[in-house]
Amino acid sequence: MLTDREILSTIAMLKNEHLDVRTVTLGINLMDCVSDDLGRFLNNIRNRILGRAGDLVRVCDAVGEKYGIPVVNKRIAISPVAVAGARFSPEELVTVARALDAAASEVNVDFIGGFSALVEKGAARGDSALMEAIPQALAETQRVCASVNVASSKAGINMDAILKMGAVIKRAAALSADRDGLACAKLCVFANIPQDIPFMAGAYLGIGEADAVINVGVSGPGAVKKAIDRAMASEADLNLGRISEIIKKTAYKVTRVGELIGREVAKNLNIRFGIVDLSLAPTPNVGDSVGEIFQSLGLRSIGVPGTTAALALLNDAVKKGGAFASSHVGGLSGAFIPVSEDLNISEAVRNGYLTLEKLEAITSVCSVGLDMVALPGDTSEETLAAIIADEMAIGVINRKTTAARLIPVPGKKAGDNASFGGLLGQATIMAVTDARDNAFVRMGGMIPAPIQSLTN
Amino acid sequence: MGSKAIISVIGPDRPGILAAVSKLLLELDCNIENARQTILQGEFAGIFIASIPEGLKPAEINNRMQAAVRPMDLTVHVKSLSLTPFAAGCACEPFVITTQGPDRKGLVAGITGILACYGVNVTNLQAVFRGGNDPEGNVMIYEVDIPADIDSQALYADLREGAKALDLSISIQHRNIFEALNRI
Repeated sequence: MLTDREILSTIAMLKNEHLDVRTVTLGINLMDCVSDDLGRFLNNIRNRILGRAGDLVRVCDAVGEKYGIPVVNKRIAISPVAVAGARFSPEELVTVARALDAAASEVNVDFIGGFSALVEKGAARGDSALMEAIPQALAETQRVCASVNVASSKAGINMDAILKMGAVIKRAAALSADRDGLACAKLCVFANIPQDIPFMAGAYLGIGEADAVINVGVSGPGAVKKAIDRAMASEADLNLGRISEIIKKTAYKVTRVGELIGREVAKNLNIRFGIVDLSLAPTPNVGDSVGEIFQSLGLRSIGVPGTTAALALLNDAVKKGGAFASSHVGGLSGAFIPVSEDLNISEAVRNGYLTLEKLEAITSVCSVGLDMVALPGDTSEETLAAIIADEMAIGVINRKTTAARLIPVPGKKAGDNASFGGLLGQATIMAVTDARDNAFVRMGGMIPAPIQSLTN
Repeated sequence: MGSKAIISVIGPDRPGILAAVSKLLLELDCNIENARQTILQGEFAGIFIASIPEGLKPAEINNRMQAAVRPMDLTVHVKSLSLTPFAAGCACEPFVITTQGPDRKGLVAGITGILACYGVNVTNLQAVFRGGNDPEGNVMIYEVDIPADIDSQALYADLREGAKALDLSISIQHRNIFEALNRI
């Protein structure tokens, strides 16, 4: 017999605290779709996607209804196209992107990720072609997401690739200038990219993965905030150690939801269950914000002194709760701080509490990095590359994932508003320190992998 | 398998009810196999299933029990346990239906009437009416077994429509979600 407290607290998390399954992402291996004939390759990948994902949305909706937990997004992650389509030219890879978009539309998923390349130690022919194809591919499609891993703690930082990505981002923004550079919102540059991220834009199916796998991304910043608020109101001697415990327990619950839903979807589709990514992923809705948690913790806003320590506490407690809840935790797993996707963080930028420099500092203890950051349209390729290089260095040296999803908004300057629509939200454009004549990033080559001892 | 009796006891709550009932069952050489009690607004209700020795009739237990609890103003009913409960052999999925809304007459009747039409068995009901129009104060939680072979979509639709007519919000969720969230 369940207790009324168990039932009512669960319903409160769902109804009032925005607890949901943010995404069920079906990983599909495309490596045996390879052909040297473009038409055959396109046909193969279409048949594979329709065959594997045809029932995904229906099953997710049915399982969501059974448990009363909405599965907000259904997505597909595929093998890196730079590998599966290594044979093709940039123009042909744009055609591949269009075919992926059409297949994703046909099976009614929200996004398809994996227009990706792994170039941390060097770019092969297919990788270079893919990077070249990214701007047009993203500007001309709705659902395709791209990612490029340019650094790792084992390989170092590929500065040639980073400089290239500065140019790619700039070009993608220009090709979607009428939509505030929206194409860039579907592109992530990574250090230490995990092979099993269910969240976009970084989702792809790693080379070490099986033919098909179900990965789940849960969310729940609203549930964490409400739990902290309740404790603040009811516990006289509350301290940060106790707060950590409360966050941990909430993350446990959120993760258990994800695993329950993911396993049932996987079972119904007869596909292996992979991992739960227990990230706090905000949306631009009030009450579904990571930024609001900082205010519950007593800070005026995210970005003020104390933010890094608070985020360190939050991120660590989320990981601990999730790791206890499930033996199959992966992806990014932690707290996201995407500027435009979080109403509160976006407000913090507008009100001057959060600058690009402070944002970069706190990415050293968050689970992703510089995410959905709108920059002035005249930010140069070199400056974009330099910002990416800084972010990658944080990841490589600290042996963690970091990413940069930067949007230089064409025709707009610092302080202007950029709007990307839907869950991508809107953001005040952040000021960038004038970095003209940045010869450092043009020097190219590899920054070597860091020493694994003398860890001071 | 030996005979079993089911004993129900109801009346004003006070210390000593369980002691009196269990002492008598022990004296009659009965073994309590299951027991459940609850107290609603000061009123005790208990139900006991006991295996009974050969030759002992439920009527005799009833007579002895009536005499034992009469000073406590309790009502007792004893009968033989008929086996084959409703759920045995039925392929069912356990769900939890929760309704919340302003108090009025007919809330439980409205929902359970729909459940009965579909052959859905209520295995546990908790209803808390604190009165008034605060929806949070009036909660009804039905733990139910939904037969696998019925049109569940039609059931859900009828429940949602019924709840709406009664000004109730309704959640219909598989039981596993509550166990996954709350129990290690």
